[in-house]
Amino acid sequence: MTTRARWRKAGWVLFFLAPSAVPLLLFTVAPMVSSVWVSLNRWNLISPMEWVGFDNYRSLLTDPQTHTVFLHTLVYCVGYLPLVFAGGLGLALALNQRLAGRSFFRAAYFLPVVTSWVVVALVWKWLLNPTNGLVNTLLGAVGLPQPGWWTDPTWALPAVILSSAWKDLGFVMVIMLAGLQAIPGDILEAATADGANAWQRFWRITLPLLSPSTFFVVVISLINGFQVFDQVYVMTGGGPSGSSQVVVGQVYDLTFRYGRAGEASALSWILFSVILLITAVQIRGQRRWVHYA
Amino acid sequence: MPDLDLTAVAPNVAPGAAAPATAPSTRSKRHGVHFLNLLRYAAVLAGAVVMLFPFLWTVITSITPEGSLAGGPTLIVKNPTLAAYRTLLDTLPMWRILVNSLWVAVASTLLQLVTGSMAAYGFARLPFKGKNVVFALYLATLMVPMQVLVVPLFIEMKTLNLQDTYMALLAPSIASAFGVFLLRQAVESVPRELDEAATIDGAGHLRIFTTIILPLIRPALATVAVFAFMGSWNSFLWPLVVIRSPEFMTLPLGLATLHGQFTTEWDVVMAGSVFSILPIAVAYLLAQRHIIAGVAHTGIK
Amino acid sequence: MRNTVRRSVAPVIAAGLALALGACAQGSATKTDAAASNGPTTVRYMNFSANGGHEKDLDAIKAAFEKANPDIKVQIETTPYDNYFTKLQTAVAGGTAGDAFELNYENFVTYASNGSLAELKNVDGSKYKPSLLKAFSAEGKQYGLPESFSNVVLFFNKDLFKAAGMGEPTADWTWKDEQAAAAKLTDKGKKVWGDYQPISFFEFYKALGQSGGEFLSADKKTATFNTDAGKAAAEFLVSKAGKSMPTEADGAGTPDFDSKLFKSGKLAMWHTGIWMFSGMADAKFDWDIAVEPGNTTKASAMFTNGAVVSARSKNQAAAQKWVTFLTSSDEMAQKRLETSWELPPVADEAQLATYLDAGKPANRQAVFDSLDATVLPPVIERQQEMQDAVTKELTTAAAGRKSVATALADAEKAVNALLK
Repeated sequence: MTTRARWRKAGWVLFFLAPSAVPLLLFTVAPMVSSVWVSLNRWNLISPMEWVGFDNYRSLLTDPQTHTVFLHTLVYCVGYLPLVFAGGLGLALALNQRLAGRSFFRAAYFLPVVTSWVVVALVWKWLLNPTNGLVNTLLGAVGLPQPGWWTDPTWALPAVILSSAWKDLGFVMVIMLAGLQAIPGDILEAATADGANAWQRFWRITLPLLSPSTFFVVVISLINGFQVFDQVYVMTGGGPSGSSQVVVGQVYDLTFRYGRAGEASALSWILFSVILLITAVQIRGQRRWVHYA
Repeated sequence: MPDLDLTAVAPNVAPGAAAPATAPSTRSKRHGVHFLNLLRYAAVLAGAVVMLFPFLWTVITSITPEGSLAGGPTLIVKNPTLAAYRTLLDTLPMWRILVNSLWVAVASTLLQLVTGSMAAYGFARLPFKGKNVVFALYLATLMVPMQVLVVPLFIEMKTLNLQDTYMALLAPSIASAFGVFLLRQAVESVPRELDEAATIDGAGHLRIFTTIILPLIRPALATVAVFAFMGSWNSFLWPLVVIRSPEFMTLPLGLATLHGQFTTEWDVVMAGSVFSILPIAVAYLLAQRHIIAGVAHTGIK
Repeated sequence: MRNTVRRSVAPVIAAGLALALGACAQGSATKTDAAASNGPTTVRYMNFSANGGHEKDLDAIKAAFEKANPDIKVQIETTPYDNYFTKLQTAVAGGTAGDAFELNYENFVTYASNGSLAELKNVDGSKYKPSLLKAFSAEGKQYGLPESFSNVVLFFNKDLFKAAGMGEPTADWTWKDEQAAAAKLTDKGKKVWGDYQPISFFEFYKALGQSGGEFLSADKKTATFNTDAGKAAAEFLVSKAGKSMPTEADGAGTPDFDSKLFKSGKLAMWHTGIWMFSGMADAKFDWDIAVEPGNTTKASAMFTNGAVVSARSKNQAAAQKWVTFLTSSDEMAQKRLETSWELPPVADEAQLATYLDAGKPANRQAVFDSLDATVLPPVIERQQEMQDAVTKELTTAAAGRKSVATALADAEKAVNALLK
């Protein structure tokens, strides 16, 4: 390539990438870099910083509280992902057919996605109220045990998982619907003609052809899942007895309630490494199971 | 970083090929299919009710007179009243707040669409060295929570003398790696033959981008638009920290002031929540047509 | 098709860029940080206590101040309590905290100890209650002025006591009397409860004080609450769950649970603060208050908010003038009493006379009697962590997952770790 052409090409790359790269660099990457610096210091936000090197990382990695919050976060992801995926996929399949009021249903299922957690949390706290919430009232009516939900250390995290999966069903549905509509009808018709039943068609054709969408949902859900915060903060505050505290919840507490911003930054960089690792593993592994048209 | 094939991570959100297939039912299967359809319809309807119930409840609580709020969830209101809305409008400058939130959300959305689609084109159509590394960097910006970025970003804003401005509110949402991610795959799935045909006709990158690519990735754009709008509309921590003057107050901040230190007027809070949900629901309904528009456009293959 | 699409896409891009540029232009228009050299001085005041119904009252006090000081303008920023400290700390970190701001006693110590506060000189101490003034001093210097105070008393439902034919709580009651009354008044069948007291750090150190115990050693280097007094206090609190008040599983401890319970007439006795007076004013039954019963001695929990001046403020003199007016002027005292906005920290009790006749409860004198023996929150540098740790252990014990002795020992371990 001639130098002129090379410059021209570089120009185009700059032209198309700069509008996003510059703001990202200025307003996301720059604070990220600052936070690395903060993580090497002790800082309560209102006094000057104090250099401590890698002490924060060392103390965090050996602190049982760190292990606990990572465990809770992992449990959250493991519980949340299958629920929201199965639910969202089921919805997408159901709403992919010709159905009366299809647009209405799609809007109904998407409504929780666009509602802020402040509102959804209120509603779910009342729904899962151990004494007179709707869920326990119904469970009691059919004679089933009524868990303590928000007040029970065993049930607080499941309550968060349930409400989160409920809220995000619509998101998965929208992505999967788009994926379903990209599947050529003739393939399915040919399969039917060959004698494949609905289940076989789904398992052998639809699902594999949906794998790019599935992959996207899984990658994004995990990236977001590991950073779960809003719902935990608003619904349980990490309790009871810290049984639902998650990593970012701990980061928030460390920064704004305990005055340990240095450790908070260090913790979030530990989290970053975990997320990066998991994402990289998934991207490498996609060759095994993701089929592109 | 080893070869990360990130090109195909996002799903094929671009308009697909043929219309979805509905298996033709033979006469003998008709009754069976009917019943199954009915069952499916009932399940979907029940599910929709479950989805809508919390929102309905929010509305109902907002019109329940304050005295009767002590009980649990109910769907029946004895003496519906708009008192909560009146209190809300008295307590907060709702119109100003709504205009602020709307302004910032619309601006964020447009900005993210522009910056995101351009970056998507860049990644999908322009080969360059280190592309995967740069894209990985974009993705990395999604992996650090806002809670940690808030303080350094605020200090940065203060250094730039931008704190307490619309610009400060917008800054973190001008570009979003999530949008770039989604849009990139959409652009990838537009066949290059179209590009080539246009190049032969003498079109440069810009023309290809605006006249060929953009129209064909409309569903992805609509999807990004909804999420961008939503993200900005519900954003709380950053506006809390960077906004001082009441004239810049956004909706989540305004609603937060309804929570007193010791008690809360739930009917007013719910009234505020209704204000919060309706605009996004409307935005989604408007965008929905475009998101599912993939069905109609079959001109590609 | 191609042409129409091109025509519709380009305007969108243009609009996006125009909005972005518009934002830049809008942004730089509002900069009021630098004090105008010729015009009036502006003092920025950040606070939380005005949120939730008293914004207009604070504005009235500000108006009175500006009238008396025409060369000073006050800009008030009110943030709800839950978000206030997030905002304040970020502002301090970024150097944009107000010239003056509000701090509650528990947070004052941290700010005072690291130079964020300006020393207030030439303060007329005679105007303030001595104990409150002392609370906002550090190392013998005055770093803040008390703005208001409130305390915790025993609310009781007169109708329920009358129906049970029982004598109402008096200032001479002890824990034993309270527990006996609670047992008689609890009727689980009718879902009526005898006595509600939150199980938290705040109730614990007070109950500890009522048993003659101390939370921290004098040098604040060790936790001294794992003693007989501490066990008695913890037992007292924890034993109420399920016996005289609902358990956590029933919803106790969730926001507004106790206030709803009392207001619905289903609670006979309730330990809570005087800030609840206005909320209960329209309750459909007769109620009153009494000084909280003690164990071996009386002790009432007192909370106080103060106003401070930022060390980085460029208008410290003006800020101090505002803060002085806010905390000691007659206009402020009157406003607070009129609107039941906590109590003014004034030394002259005669000024508080109108408070006694301001409506329910009748026995408002109990509020002042409680001031005879008060206990302020124990405050350390890692305050929030200590509060969280103690509350966590106590609620775990109350839920039956730990014995009181273990919970207390674990709390002691946790707090000692924070004191290093």
